[in-house]
Amino acid sequence: MAFRPASSPSLRLAAPAPDPPRPKRPFRDNPLQVLLGIFALVVALAGMMLLLNRSSQLAPDFLSEFVLYALSVVDLTMLVGLVFVLARSVIKMLVERKRGLPFARFRAKLVLLLLGMTVIPAVLVLLVGSQLIFNSVDRWFNQPMDEMLDSAQRIASDYYHDRQRQVSDETARLARELASADLASADLGVLRDAVAGSVTEQRLTLVEVYRLAPGADGLPQPVPVVDVASAAAGPMTTRDTSVRLAARAAGGQPDTWMREPTESGGELIRAAAVVRASDGRAAGVVVGTVQLTGEVAARARRMTKAYESYTQLRVFKPALTGVYLSFFLMVTLLILVSATWMGLYLAKRITRPVQALAAAAREIGAGHFEHRVERETADEFGALVDSFNTMADELASSRRALEQSSADLERKHAEVEDRRRFTEAVLDRVATGVITIDAAGRIGILNPAASKLLGLDAGAAGKAAEEVFGTGELRPLADLATAPYVPGKEWPAQEIALNREGREVQLALAATPLHGDGRQREGRVLVVDDITPLIRAQKVAAWREVARRLAHEIKNPLTPIQLCAQRLQRQFSAAPEPVRELVDECTGTIVGEVEALKTLVDEFSQFARMPSPRRVLTDVHQLLTGTLGLYDGLFAHVRIETLFAVSVPQVRLDPDQIRRVVINLVDNAIEALNQRGLIVVETQHDAAAGTVRIVVADDGPGIAPEERDKLFMPYYSTKKRGSGLGLAIVRRIVAEHGGTVEVGANEPRGTRFTIELPAGEADAAAGTEAM
Amino acid sequence: MPARLLAIVLCAFLLEPGGDRAVEVGAFARDGRVHVTAAASDGLMQDLDEPIQAGVATTITYEADLREEVGIWFDRTLASATVTAGVQYDTLTRRYQLTRSVDGRIDDSRVSEDRAEVKRFVLGFDRLPLFNAGDLEPNAEYYVRVRVRTRPRVTFFFWPWGRDAASGMARFTFIP
Repeated sequence: MAFRPASSPSLRLAAPAPDPPRPKRPFRDNPLQVLLGIFALVVALAGMMLLLNRSSQLAPDFLSEFVLYALSVVDLTMLVGLVFVLARSVIKMLVERKRGLPFARFRAKLVLLLLGMTVIPAVLVLLVGSQLIFNSVDRWFNQPMDEMLDSAQRIASDYYHDRQRQVSDETARLARELASADLASADLGVLRDAVAGSVTEQRLTLVEVYRLAPGADGLPQPVPVVDVASAAAGPMTTRDTSVRLAARAAGGQPDTWMREPTESGGELIRAAAVVRASDGRAAGVVVGTVQLTGEVAARARRMTKAYESYTQLRVFKPALTGVYLSFFLMVTLLILVSATWMGLYLAKRITRPVQALAAAAREIGAGHFEHRVERETADEFGALVDSFNTMADELASSRRALEQSSADLERKHAEVEDRRRFTEAVLDRVATGVITIDAAGRIGILNPAASKLLGLDAGAAGKAAEEVFGTGELRPLADLATAPYVPGKEWPAQEIALNREGREVQLALAATPLHGDGRQREGRVLVVDDITPLIRAQKVAAWREVARRLAHEIKNPLTPIQLCAQRLQRQFSAAPEPVRELVDECTGTIVGEVEALKTLVDEFSQFARMPSPRRVLTDVHQLLTGTLGLYDGLFAHVRIETLFAVSVPQVRLDPDQIRRVVINLVDNAIEALNQRGLIVVETQHDAAAGTVRIVVADDGPGIAPEERDKLFMPYYSTKKRGSGLGLAIVRRIVAEHGGTVEVGANEPRGTRFTIELPAGEADAAAGTEAM
Repeated sequence: MPARLLAIVLCAFLLEPGGDRAVEVGAFARDGRVHVTAAASDGLMQDLDEPIQAGVATTITYEADLREEVGIWFDRTLASATVTAGVQYDTLTRRYQLTRSVDGRIDDSRVSEDRAEVKRFVLGFDRLPLFNAGDLEPNAEYYVRVRVRTRPRVTFFFWPWGRDAASGMARFTFIP
């Protein structure tokens, strides 16, 4: 069973990877090779059995010198192989268990069980069989057999030895009898008669007499003289044997007898004796022969052969025992090797599919949903693999659908997040305060504008609306936040006035219910608008209308009044002194008041018909320096100081109008100081906000906080002879420039007016000019 | 019973075949030849007596090496010779056929009924001119090592490999 590797952990991006080359199957997975291996094993066993069967026919020497070596080599090889396989398997199992591989413990138990089932019986059989072999070999060489074969061999040997001694003795006797004869010249008949007795009396079968003659090499050579053979004797062998024996005896060698097989199956025992002359010289040789019949010789040889075979077996007893033990050990090792291999093979066959499934499960668990297990068998494991692959297919499909849904969800989430960021940006930047109240009455969103307008910090978000708005001047918001909802009916908008640092701020409140998808109410949204400028502008517009009408209605009759008063003065110029003085006084008063009224009406007209500013790039410091120069030497006890910023850009403004603003503020300050004190004119540049500030501060008595906001209302004046239009004009001019003017307390004392003008246009222009 | 098998197997590994056996070696140079004398101990004969008496063709091979010592390396073998003594006992006639060969060449062959002669014949050889002394350096140190192998060998059940039945060596100074 093999794995098909995963193409990619990501199913969406996974491209169909080319299949890798199929790995070569190991030996154990190749049925043909396994069959060949089993066949070779059977052949080896058959060969061993054949060799064992023929071992009795093999020479012990061959068994000990070759077979035992071969078997020992085979045994050692198999033993080393078995130890290697076992050690390798044990180490592998230990490593697998240490690594915590799945089924390692189960596989180890399975292998140990199979090995135990084989090794224990095999070792027991080996021990018992070895003992049986020892006992059997011991039984071959028991004492009765030893004694019987030894006795038989002694009988044969003694018989041969006796016969040999008889031949030797008889031959020696004949040699002594012939010592007086001259073998070279003696009568052959006499000689034959001398030796014939031994033949006729059957002490010898053949007697041969040789005389010794000098040979070519100087050594004495036997020369046949006479021979006498028994009539019962069969055909003898050639004379050469006797001649060689005679020569050996004549040469003085101690070995003077020999055995010689005959053609009839019998055996000849020959002995030689030297015939010595009276002077001790070797004159000849007598060779006596006894013929053993074929039956006797054969029996003797069989007895000797059996004895030698037995004793040789006894000599080779350890080697023979080793051969049989080696055979037995080889079979045992063969069984053990086969059983070990089979045990490992079966364990792997059983655990490998399960391990493959476990590994595949881990791969799929790791996100490799394309991982599959290859089916190799058609059994239950194959069905299990099919089920697993089907499950993996379904998981992969589910994963693909899930990832698609996740992608859609992520896209929608991104859209929602973009919308939320956009809404937050809008809410952060918008000047309108927005507050969301959930169904439980808790504040959800509190945008910066709402915080600023209502004087709340961001920590109010998350708290109950009743808790935050429940007391003080914010109570109307709490009422609006908790007002019951009547379907089809909107909550009425409200206006409230809040006091912020002495300033009255007019706020418009509106509430809108929030509905979910199912139209269920999820809370409400409170909208807070600062309508203070709007109301202020409405008031200014109303006052401008009043001023225009007053100027129109009052200014028209003033001139006739003034002319009438002057005419009366001229008519009564000739009147008596008391009358003339009265008329002059009255007409003078009338003309003076008319002039005052004209001045007042002119200011009204000017306030009502203030022209739009003609803005040009202006150096603020230069403008201020020139304006403040008008006051040089006018007020001895008023000191005007400047505190200009290092770098203030040029501002696009109407120089005449701004100069009027500054003069207005400085005049107010001088009046507030009662012409004695310090006035500081300061400039500031806020590059981040893009504004330029002009501050006019005095160390006068200051203005009460509750009166500060009213200062800029038309016709509101704290002076005895003021028109109440100065600061209104100031605010209007500043507003026409897109700026603001605020009044506050100066430290340590006095009043501080701050004009804030936008510098953005100036900066842009400066940038353009720089280009 | 298994203890017996275990003991035999242990003996096969622990006992050293021919451990109490040695070969007395003598060597000297004369007439341009190195003559070697070897005499194995009687213990060797005890091992061979049984196979000889059983009629097994028994051979004792004397491998003689003329060697020269080399400082920190293996000694150098200058020449080698093999002397083989063969014994074949005829249990019927009670005679021993003795044969000796030097480097495969028959040097001596005889028949004997005397076991003492057989023992002398088997357990060594006397002043055999085995090596040529022409290549030896005068006044140099040499030695002759003789190793003895027997056949049939004394073997054990599971371990047929054994060391030499006996061995010995003799040093000599070559004086021309």
